[in-house]
Amino acid sequence: MKWQLYAIDHFRKCETLLLRLVVKNTNGRSPMRKISISPRTAIVIASVMLGGQLAQAQEGKPVSGGAITWGVATEPSCFDPHRASQQAAFFVARNYIDSLVGKKTDGSFAPWLATEWSISPDGKEYTYKLREDVVFHDGEKFDAAAVKANYDFVKKPENATNAVALLQYFDRAEVVSPYVVKLILTQPDSTFLESTSNVKLGIISPKALAKGDLCGGGPLLAGSGPFVFERYSRGQSAVFVRNKDYKWGPGYAAHTGPAYLDRVTLRFLPEAAVRAGALTSGQVDLIEGVQPTDVALFADQAEFKLLTGPSGASTSFTFNINYTIPPADDVRVRRALRDGFDLEPLVKQVYLGTVPRAWSIIGPANPAYNKALVGAWGNNIAGANKLLDEAGWTGRDSEGFRTKNGVRLKIDVGYPQPYVRDNREVLIQGIQAALRKNIGFDLNLRIITAGEYAKNNANGNWTIYPNTDNPSDPARELWDMLGSKGFLYSNIANPDPQITGLIDEALRSTDVAKKRALTDEIQKLGVDQAFIVPMFAPSWFLAAKNNVNGLSFEAGLDSPSSAYDFWLAK
Amino acid sequence: MWSRIISRLLTSLVVAWASVTAAFLALHALPGRIQDILAGDLEYPGLREAIAAEWGLDRSLPAQYLDFLLRILQGDFGTSYVLRQPVTEVVGSQLMPTVQLALLGGILAVIIAIALALLTAGRGRISRQIASFLELVFASTPVFWLGILLLMAFSFTLRWFPVSGASGWQSIVLPSLTLALPTAGLLAQVLREAMEKTLDQPFVTTVRSRGVGELVIRARHVLRHALLPAVTLGGWLIGGLLGGAVITEKVFGRPGLGTVTLGAVLTHDVPVVLAVVLLAAFIHVAASTLLDILYLLIDPRLRAQ
Repeated sequence: MKWQLYAIDHFRKCETLLLRLVVKNTNGRSPMRKISISPRTAIVIASVMLGGQLAQAQEGKPVSGGAITWGVATEPSCFDPHRASQQAAFFVARNYIDSLVGKKTDGSFAPWLATEWSISPDGKEYTYKLREDVVFHDGEKFDAAAVKANYDFVKKPENATNAVALLQYFDRAEVVSPYVVKLILTQPDSTFLESTSNVKLGIISPKALAKGDLCGGGPLLAGSGPFVFERYSRGQSAVFVRNKDYKWGPGYAAHTGPAYLDRVTLRFLPEAAVRAGALTSGQVDLIEGVQPTDVALFADQAEFKLLTGPSGASTSFTFNINYTIPPADDVRVRRALRDGFDLEPLVKQVYLGTVPRAWSIIGPANPAYNKALVGAWGNNIAGANKLLDEAGWTGRDSEGFRTKNGVRLKIDVGYPQPYVRDNREVLIQGIQAALRKNIGFDLNLRIITAGEYAKNNANGNWTIYPNTDNPSDPARELWDMLGSKGFLYSNIANPDPQITGLIDEALRSTDVAKKRALTDEIQKLGVDQAFIVPMFAPSWFLAAKNNVNGLSFEAGLDSPSSAYDFWLAK
Repeated sequence: MWSRIISRLLTSLVVAWASVTAAFLALHALPGRIQDILAGDLEYPGLREAIAAEWGLDRSLPAQYLDFLLRILQGDFGTSYVLRQPVTEVVGSQLMPTVQLALLGGILAVIIAIALALLTAGRGRISRQIASFLELVFASTPVFWLGILLLMAFSFTLRWFPVSGASGWQSIVLPSLTLALPTAGLLAQVLREAMEKTLDQPFVTTVRSRGVGELVIRARHVLRHALLPAVTLGGWLIGGLLGGAVITEKVFGRPGLGTVTLGAVLTHDVPVVLAVVLLAAFIHVAASTLLDILYLLIDPRLRAQ
């Protein structure tokens, strides 16, 4: 079993080459174009990264009707947004789940199920005025009581939902009138409005909530979204059909009224090469999770289009260094690790120029991204060597690694196997090799089980954790990774008071400018102290047949948007 | 006769109990508490206690084990921790696609192996070498790679068959072929070797002297002898088919037990793993019983005993 899994990894590298040959033969184009990304594609990708959004070509006037099949990489283990924990599950849920407010690309919020909202001066009461014409898929009416039922359900500890993490300071919901609901907090929380836009706190019919577990999807999972969840076949597909009565789309959408498509079928195709092949051979209309090596199959091609998502909602892919465990408790060791290699060519080599290297913890398309960090750190091998000399790591062992008092300079990177994806382990191996060669540092990548990770986390003795944080408010993301009660430092007795203090302050601060200054400072401190080493800013790739229009990305998730605005050219 | 059947049944019960117990102990011996794994990257006071209470993880291990055994006896396999659905529903819905795939793959493998062996055993050097080479290539090609190659040729380029989907016979052709070829490669090698040994035996000369045609000699007499060592491989074959089905399902995006089991092991989804282990034990016992009967059908000498 194990060797077969290794074989999968090994052959994954060859399969794309083969796929390209196949496509080359069917298209009858010159092989040169397939080998590297053409300059035009590179410019498209670069401009997408800078702008965070693709300027779409003129697509014509949308028409109603038709059905598409969407090849999806990850089959959600749970379709209930309150319980889901996978990135892949969230954008799927957007097709049948609506939220109180919607997040726009500029970071501001648009009306959705709530037409307007206000925040009390003390920052502890959020009042939402709700639409009066919304009906759930099971025929139930949407009102203030439904909102209260959802928030109560998520908050209840016995339910052990994932979404409860967003309700850290939520106290209770009050029905003010049938269509006005007030959400009351125990202390000001600057991330709360964003949380109410999050799909995890999407609104499900109270009748469905009362029925018990909704993870299995299907019509039981009744939201109010533009599509009704018709059917789920495990290991195969999920089918959504148009909600004909839909007239309460999010304020950021491109149109109003019901969705254009009659039907959307998600096909779960875990293998990247198979997804790409299914699209090139016309068996599916749209795929997500295009590998960098497959990008050239779809960019610049007359019959396909390729879209790159923004990197703003989720964090960069980062090394989180546990700064309480030796030898990483010495800031010189952490900084040497941060600066002892040249990140740019490594990222370029692994991702073929499709993603940018990261400078900060927060993604570059996020308004809260601290631009001052660009160029501020990294690739200073002489400096890194000097730091390690000063820190007393002056000996060398037989393999050329630095030692101090006979102990090798070594830190484990414990990467939980379920989270290993899109060649991230290859990038880490590249860093491992560079650190060994440049500064005699033994960065030891270990692919560990979810269980070993959970154990290390519970004991607070994890060493380096590679991570991309789920989308939420930037202060909330920083809290997740560096806060005193975030998931990494919650079981560590004495986390750094300066950074945890700043994070708590940012969470409380409802003043936009002040909060921005705080998140800037936290990012700077986190990277300067090398608590975190950012690596690259992952983005989502969509590829589609040319007749599939209206594709876009959801700002709150960085992920493909729901199929609400999609339409098929006749 | 009856005593044999009863002892067989008792043995299978012991096998089932032992394998489930071993799996239960192994899962709990793995590092990491289940409530920590289920909590994942989530952290708030009382979360782990809530999860533990929800799934009964707060009780002692022997208590959990006894409770588990009692529930199985009542036919209740519990609820998956991760998928949050009844295990019988999860495993039940995924069982048929896997059985279908493994069965078809197995039958195809046997047919290909027998055809190859019948056609090439003891014949010209060149045809034997070509067949032997092909078998070696198939037997040593990882299922994953083979699946991708077949997809590229017959689905992406020629477009004869769909990538996947449970609809219609077309969707099972490529997956079952992917599963069959490596098995067929090994089986054919064993069969040919055995047939060539048998062809040298005196009784073959006797049969030939009666004027019996070559095909009949091979199909009726020689093959029967050669099948015995091949049947001995049967246990291995079933394991290989089920293991290969995991990879095949992943490549073709087919529903099946493979993906569910892999996910369950990685996330310590104890109820699902235990149900699959129980199922595998059952399949193993049923298959070895079937193979025993097969021996009797093939070899009359065994029947007399």
